[in-house]
Amino acid sequence: MRINFWYISSILISFFVIIPILTVFSSFFENTSNYYQVLKDTFLLEYILNSLILLLSVLILTFLIGTGSAYLVSFFEFPFSNFFKWALILSFAVPPYIYAYSLTAFFENYGTAYTILKNLFGEADYNQNIPKFDGLFGVILSISFSLYAYVYILARASFLYQPQNLIDLGKNLGFSKFKTLYSIVLPAARPAIVAGLSLVAMETLAEFGAVDFFSINTLTTGIYNSWIAFDDLAFANQLSFYLLLFIFALFILENLSRKRAKYHMNSRGGFKQKQKIKLSGRKSLMAFTFCFLVFFLSFLFPLSQMMYWTIKFPENLFDLQIINLLINTLYLVVLSSLVLIIFALISNYGNRVNKDKTLNVLSTLSISGYAIPGVILAVAFITFIAWIDESVIKTFGFLSIKKVFIGSIFGLVIVYFIRFYSLAFNGIKSGYEKINISVDESSYLLGYSKRKTFMNIHIPFLRNSLLFVFILISLEIIRELPITLILRPFNFETFATTAYISASEDLLEAAAVPSLFLILIATSFIIVTSKYILRDQNE
Amino acid sequence: MSKNFFEIKDVDFNVSGKTKVKDVSFSIENEGDVICLLGPSGIGKTTILRTIAGLEKINKGSIKLNGKLISSEKINIEPENRNVSLAFQDNSLFPHYTVEKNILLGAERNKEKNGKKITLKEIVDLLDIFHILSKYPHEISAGEAQRASLARSLITQPDLLLLDEPLSNVDQSFKEEIQVRLKKILNQLKITTIIVTHDSYEAFYLGNKCGIILNQQLKQFDDPYKVYHFPNSIEVVNFLNRGILIPAKVTGKNTLENWDLGTIEGNFIKEYPKGANVQLLLQPEDLEHDDKSNLKLEVVDRKFRGTNFIYTLKTPSNTKIPVFVHSHHIHQHEVDEKFGIKRPIHIDHIVCF
Repeated sequence: MRINFWYISSILISFFVIIPILTVFSSFFENTSNYYQVLKDTFLLEYILNSLILLLSVLILTFLIGTGSAYLVSFFEFPFSNFFKWALILSFAVPPYIYAYSLTAFFENYGTAYTILKNLFGEADYNQNIPKFDGLFGVILSISFSLYAYVYILARASFLYQPQNLIDLGKNLGFSKFKTLYSIVLPAARPAIVAGLSLVAMETLAEFGAVDFFSINTLTTGIYNSWIAFDDLAFANQLSFYLLLFIFALFILENLSRKRAKYHMNSRGGFKQKQKIKLSGRKSLMAFTFCFLVFFLSFLFPLSQMMYWTIKFPENLFDLQIINLLINTLYLVVLSSLVLIIFALISNYGNRVNKDKTLNVLSTLSISGYAIPGVILAVAFITFIAWIDESVIKTFGFLSIKKVFIGSIFGLVIVYFIRFYSLAFNGIKSGYEKINISVDESSYLLGYSKRKTFMNIHIPFLRNSLLFVFILISLEIIRELPITLILRPFNFETFATTAYISASEDLLEAAAVPSLFLILIATSFIIVTSKYILRDQNE
Repeated sequence: MSKNFFEIKDVDFNVSGKTKVKDVSFSIENEGDVICLLGPSGIGKTTILRTIAGLEKINKGSIKLNGKLISSEKINIEPENRNVSLAFQDNSLFPHYTVEKNILLGAERNKEKNGKKITLKEIVDLLDIFHILSKYPHEISAGEAQRASLARSLITQPDLLLLDEPLSNVDQSFKEEIQVRLKKILNQLKITTIIVTHDSYEAFYLGNKCGIILNQQLKQFDDPYKVYHFPNSIEVVNFLNRGILIPAKVTGKNTLENWDLGTIEGNFIKEYPKGANVQLLLQPEDLEHDDKSNLKLEVVDRKFRGTNFIYTLKTPSNTKIPVFVHSHHIHQHEVDEKFGIKRPIHIDHIVCF
């Protein structure tokens, strides 16, 4: 093994990301306070049950919405099917907590639904007839309509690359459309759908804003409370460890159920643009209605609710320092994305040129940060810095480093880095996977050094992947709530934190303006990159 | 100091910790010589090229180029510092650059060699790739990509050019023409080249020398004529698949006897004592057809190869013998018919094992 710049850098980057993750797990073995006993005697069962119900309901709903809409736009032609193809990813712009605000705002007593009915049919007591989408059901809807796009994007990509031969084979065997769907199309897309669902599962279990807004006790809430109310980080970590075990158990179960089935088709010459089936009449109307409902409920509904309130209460627009919030949000987005991309690029290239087992293990561990809820990471980071400060810095008589890391942009960027490193690393890795290793070797044989190969061959090739990763990270950071809430500097607000603070003070009208801006910025980011997200055959 | 331009001495070629080819030694005496390595798929031919290019390391033996040690247990000059160019079998063009840009990247390294510097135009004409210059690698066929990759390697005018199955994806109709052009340009530019191929005709045409790799060893390294006519082992005979071995007994200085064919005359490549039992190599062109001959064998198969037929004949002892007949021969023989073999049988060079 030759030690070179790329090797050392990759090791250091991976190690840096792993430290706080290890902190989380090491706390697992520490003693906990009596909060555990209190919780066990009172709400622990409720936490677990709620988490299970939430997780399973969201998984079922996102599977149905995501796979259903992906199937329709991939295999059929109906009015606006090309529009829905990309419009259905816009739900990414609406974080679950903003969806939760919209649900409440629309269905609450004397809310928007009431106003509409009053304007249409005159004054009456409509409140008792308007359904209330709050509590656990509200959380399930909020998360599902916000996150189904993970399943939609991955399922659609998989459907798109299914060879026409596979579909033709179904026809040849005399299968109906439904039988082709469940015996050929869905099984072949299973790994992609499962990948989408596992992202949904991780996000659901880590969800903080919507769960907190509807005051639902889940394991995440338990984690937060054990830290906030009881200052018991070890127990918080134990809860999150159980949470992660649950996710891993799901993965293992899925893997075992696949047995030895293979899902890869040899793509060499196998790709043939699928002939979409043109729907007409009732079927066409049904397909359109389904996609429109999903688009409306996931995007138009929260967007219009926020716009309605912004227009209805224009004073909130002027109360907020929009420019300041915009600058703060974009500042965090650009800074964090750039740092993440640069380091993830170096680490990826280091892994590529140094085929080393230690490095491989470290890299695999380093991308597990995404599975750890933001709350936990933020708390673990504070704990780690406090420990270093107490046991190392102060021992040697240096000035405290707490202020440098806690309540500072620097600390915030570090924790974003740990949380979203897997997005950057995997995004760039999937770009790298398209570069055959013989391309590197050809480059060396043309006299290019490793650095020159990286700069002149890889970076131009990865340009699109880098842009995609940048947008992906940006979207996450724009929507991110718990880390920003916990670690942001004093008086430093973003659209997300402003919306959350207003909502938690029961000032939903005031939350509308930052929410609207957040949706608009995220939407513009999505539109810019929709062609990369949707990756058609030319990719 | 060795006089050879390129030299491999006692090298084990490894990939992923596994030895693919052991104890290889061969050399290229003169700059500009072309050698071809032949062997079945997966035997380690590509590993040899990758190691020479510096992409794999060695832990035994040495590799020298132009008098300079480039690989040994302790020394491994990085690929970018060797001035060795390798054209991969599969498309290794940079996918985000056009074919022209890909070739020009190779030209950046181009140094005048032996007073001549090849230009883009020459290389484009040579390989007939003008029509694909502005295209991206994913827009061209596998054969075109292979030619473009070859162009990029050639234009660097390296000290040593390594070609891995360079024409395997090129259409048969165009292949021979490219082979002629390639041979011409390699000669003109005096580019020392090692070509790996599984096509023995390509190897025999392009190579000044050919190496046969079988069972983890370089079995034979010699002139193409000698490799073909004087294979040094039964394994090489079987690999080239151009003849069969029949039992015979040495009866004199220039004769031997086979139970089915009778007396066979010729010049022995190696001396055998009288009375020795040997395996005689019988190649399709060794026997001549003669309708009037009293040595008749039964036809069991007939293959039409354009310029010739290859008849498979069954002897009384049930041995199957291939015999070459010009396709303009006055009449053809059907399966189950009798087929005459000219006597006395004379073989120019008798190869026995």
